[in-house]
Amino acid sequence: MGLDFTAITPYVHMLLAGAVTTIQASLLAVTFGSLFGVVVGALRVMPVRWVRSLAATYIYVIRGTPLLIQLFLIYFGLPSLGLNLPAFTAGIIGLSINSSGYVGEIVRGGIEAVPKGQWEASQVLGLSYMRTLRFIILPQAIRNMLPAIGNEFVTLIKESSLLSTLAITELTMVGQQVRSVTYASFETFIVVGVIYLVMTSATSAALQYVEKRWKVA
Amino acid sequence: MPETQPRAGEPAERDIPAIEVRNLSKSFGQLSVLNGISLSVREGEVVSVIGPSGSGKSTLARCICRLEKIDGGDVFLYGQKVNDGDHSNKDLSRLVGMIFQQFNLFPHLSVLGNLTLSPVKILGVPRSQAEEQAVALLRRVGLEEKRNAWPNELSGGQRQRVAIARALAMNPRIMLFDEPTSALDPELVGEVLSVIAGLAESGMTMMIITHEMLFARDVSDRVLFMADGTIVEQGTPDQIFSHPEVPRTRQFLQRTLPHYGGDVPTDERKENERHGP
Ligand SMILES: Nc1ncnc2c1ncn2[C@@H]1O[C@H](COP(=O)(O)OP(=O)(O)OP(=O)(O)O)[C@@H](O)[C@H]1O
Ligand SMILES: [Mg+2]
Repeated sequence: MGLDFTAITPYVHMLLAGAVTTIQASLLAVTFGSLFGVVVGALRVMPVRWVRSLAATYIYVIRGTPLLIQLFLIYFGLPSLGLNLPAFTAGIIGLSINSSGYVGEIVRGGIEAVPKGQWEASQVLGLSYMRTLRFIILPQAIRNMLPAIGNEFVTLIKESSLLSTLAITELTMVGQQVRSVTYASFETFIVVGVIYLVMTSATSAALQYVEKRWKVA
Repeated sequence: MPETQPRAGEPAERDIPAIEVRNLSKSFGQLSVLNGISLSVREGEVVSVIGPSGSGKSTLARCICRLEKIDGGDVFLYGQKVNDGDHSNKDLSRLVGMIFQQFNLFPHLSVLGNLTLSPVKILGVPRSQAEEQAVALLRRVGLEEKRNAWPNELSGGQRQRVAIARALAMNPRIMLFDEPTSALDPELVGEVLSVIAGLAESGMTMMIITHEMLFARDVSDRVLFMADGTIVEQGTPDQIFSHPEVPRTRQFLQRTLPHYGGDVPTDERKENERHGP
């Protein structure tokens, strides 16, 4: 049996459009996920025990359950509470929440890696806890965390393929559509896989470049 | 130029000690580190604290600036009891500044950024004014030309001088130094000590924990010798370094100053040699 890619060439532009949706969804999710994740990570180290526990529980639940189930809960579950979200919105919210759990843990590690002396110097210079976090600790922690957050972006490009289960026309969903009209399953998903690989490789390379520049600065 | 002279208070304030510690105790778990310390520092006085490693010197300073919670006793700064939670970090920073062995500069901020952060964010000083003041303070520690440098571009001695300028930018009434030169290469110690000596000359109230005995002798009005969480002996530099009364003090000095002999009577010196290291 030989591979015949000519069957899918008329649909390549559709696959590329799907890839653009994948990138959009991943970018949105990594942005919201990181913003929310910084909050979760900061709460995770608060000097108030119940706040810390709450954040820890959140991280525990998010990381301990499948993304697919989280997406289903938001898209299929919330309507029973009267909350009907468009598929793309539900998908972005699900991905962002999922990502915030992982970023939250990264942020916690980043905060804890800042030397204790930075907290102490800030305190004797009159900074409150929150201002120390905002002006002294987080800027240093986030700088150290950027590589990990970059990895999170790469992960999201791959994980966003689960959005196909909500019938969002991202790359994987389009791949299924192309397969159903061409019956060229192997060829279609080889091409889909290669497009993912190109996206993740390009992202990693871009991140490494940025990281190097950052270190020099 | 920022004022570093003690502010003119009401006449009655002159009698209030800058630092007053009453019966201070502090433990870490089972380990009792400070055992009922009492001391008082007058405004404008320079007090050095010496003593063996682990005697509680750092802990004492950290309790005074509230970096450690105390277990018993009270700390008053200019008559204000600061250990009952009524003072914000901002309130406390107007009273006391602290210099650390490890400098603790903010590595993500320039030298100028280090000096202006608190005045701008905490005291609400306009940025231009804060920068002017920062440059004046840098001039005072001899680092005016480093205003745009980053902390990691500076030598240890320069970092510590920036840290001193940063503390002064909050215009505290008291300065605490916890072994400010212990992390420095020997050739960089002098530049930092001379800045501290200059501060002492300007009338700043200071408590200096140090292993630099000659410096302590030259710059202090009073020297405290601590061991095992208590103040064993205190007095003028001459009393402590030349006529120590407590054997523990003599022992410590003999170990610390290799050429120590001073006014210790010969027979005692012999005895000390027998017990020495
Ligand atoms: N955070 C802490 N937790 C537990 N033990 C501590 C802590 N800080 C200090 N200690 C202990 O308290 C004792 C006194 O420590 P401290 O740092 O005050 O001594 P020091 O006189 O400053 O000594 P050095 O000259 O070595 O700096 C030591 O035994 C030390 O191990
Ligand atoms: Mg110490």
